[in-house]
Amino acid sequence: MIIDTRNLKKTYITYERGTTFGATIKSLFVRKPIEIEALKGIYLSIEKGEIIGLIGPNGAGKSTTLKILSGILHPTSGEADVMGFTPWKQRKKYVANIGAVFGQKSQLIWDIPPMDSFQMNKAIYNIPEEAFTTRLNALVEMLDLSRLIHKPTRQLSLGERMKCEFVMAMLHDPPIVFLDEPTIGLDVIAKEVIRKFIKEMNAKGTTFILTTHDLDDIELLANRVVVINHGSIVFDDSLTNLMGKLGHKKIVKVILSQAYAGTTLKSGLEYEKNSELELEFTLDTSQMSLKAFMDHIAGELEIKDISIESEDIETVIKELYLI
Amino acid sequence: MSRNTGYLKLYGVGLKVGMANIMAYRGDFFINFFIMLMAELFAPIITFLIYRSGAAFPGWTLEEVMMIQGVFLLSKGIGYVFFFGLVDNTLFMVREGTFDLLLIKPRPVLFMSLVSGINVGDLGSIFSGLGVFILAATYLSGTTLMQWLLFLALFVMSLTVMLAFSIIMGSTVIKWVGNGRVYEIFEAISSFGLYPKSIYGKAFANIISFIIPLSIIGFIPAAVLLGRPVTGIWISVIVSILFLILSTRIWKMMMKYYTSAGG
Repeated sequence: MIIDTRNLKKTYITYERGTTFGATIKSLFVRKPIEIEALKGIYLSIEKGEIIGLIGPNGAGKSTTLKILSGILHPTSGEADVMGFTPWKQRKKYVANIGAVFGQKSQLIWDIPPMDSFQMNKAIYNIPEEAFTTRLNALVEMLDLSRLIHKPTRQLSLGERMKCEFVMAMLHDPPIVFLDEPTIGLDVIAKEVIRKFIKEMNAKGTTFILTTHDLDDIELLANRVVVINHGSIVFDDSLTNLMGKLGHKKIVKVILSQAYAGTTLKSGLEYEKNSELELEFTLDTSQMSLKAFMDHIAGELEIKDISIESEDIETVIKELYLI
Repeated sequence: MSRNTGYLKLYGVGLKVGMANIMAYRGDFFINFFIMLMAELFAPIITFLIYRSGAAFPGWTLEEVMMIQGVFLLSKGIGYVFFFGLVDNTLFMVREGTFDLLLIKPRPVLFMSLVSGINVGDLGSIFSGLGVFILAATYLSGTTLMQWLLFLALFVMSLTVMLAFSIIMGSTVIKWVGNGRVYEIFEAISSFGLYPKSIYGKAFANIISFIIPLSIIGFIPAAVLLGRPVTGIWISVIVSILFLILSTRIWKMMMKYYTSAGG
């Protein structure tokens, strides 16, 4: 096991202040403290070589978990063992073994070329010259960056910058890489390149822990999904099992050869009339099996064509967030 | 590679990157250079005008006061370029949430903050200090090698105090993230170090020598070079070292208040 956390909790104090002028003046002297339980006890075990998708609504505790695991924040209580280190107690030794990409925080220096930032990382991580050159060349080739690393960072597109962020995170060959929304704001092509890169690095043995709001990242990358909501893990399993557990609903589109008058279908069947000759059913298979449904509509409707789709991942995840 | 060589090398790379960063806007660099050069000459020019009008700091010639101010400004100039970027850097990074990026590097956060805060744009302030110092040094006579060596050692202590001030200011902005006026407090306090210690009352002179070590920034090293008697040099040296130790303790204490920014 490469990561093992037990009962990680994080509480912090914030202060409440009103929005009126009077409340603002009052807050100069008196503030009402509010205790926020960001994490209420996180138990998480991750094996080497996994890609874990850490998802949850805004403020659920994903980034706090990631920051504790990457040694940035101290938890209020609880334990963590990452590659034999306690991240917040042995920060310096520990962080030499991890990489991180924050989609909204750049490690690159804005006015100078990424190559200078790479050189800075070489010195920070004490990477020997030969290892640095070999690794840099491999990463540059994988991400097709050779024309870009000598251009000032400010002249690069967001997608190009993100590729360089990955080089920054991987130059010292870390066994674990934390990714906080790495595809945020990227176009389809850039996302594809980044995802391909993550998969390739994962195939070589790197473990990735990824937080994202882009469920395509989860669908295309993660072996396992951990859903955090209100500071607790509410789901920890494969995406297939998540869909199986919550994805009871099917969207059935029926094209009719004759308009339906609207009286003979069983009560409780939800449907919308897209047109006179097209009905869209939302079938809850926990209430009625697909076979029973098909038998029923075949007897009641003049069906010309039919399509059945599972509920999309976003709807399933949304259901989980609302629990 | 030894641990210390690694740190020196990293500092060297940080300096190189800082140079490259500032040279990306050459026009801004030259304007900033000129502004800093002129701004730092304000105190020596005022001193010159005072002496020209016939007034004086009792017991001190214009050249001697210029020496004190030259040493002070040189130390402050070096501080601006190499240490004080720590304050702006910390303030900016903590507010933006990018301070996290320093915490994921396998180096002390304070060192990383210093390296990433190197501000070559303030180079003008070193030149103004150096200019005043060289001008005043031309009036020196009979200065021995021992005096120069002692001066160099005390100048290192002067830089130690500058570093300590920058760490203390940087520490405060970790918790009080909107504290952008912290420099003004430093400017006000440190300006007492621009003048001969003897112009102050004994109690105040003791405070700026043995409690907040301002005298060692300019006055004590300059007085040694000028061959003027100075009492309590070694106490000031010890206080300066303690001041640096205290500043790093304050930094560590304030780091405990670091909460990062929302994700």
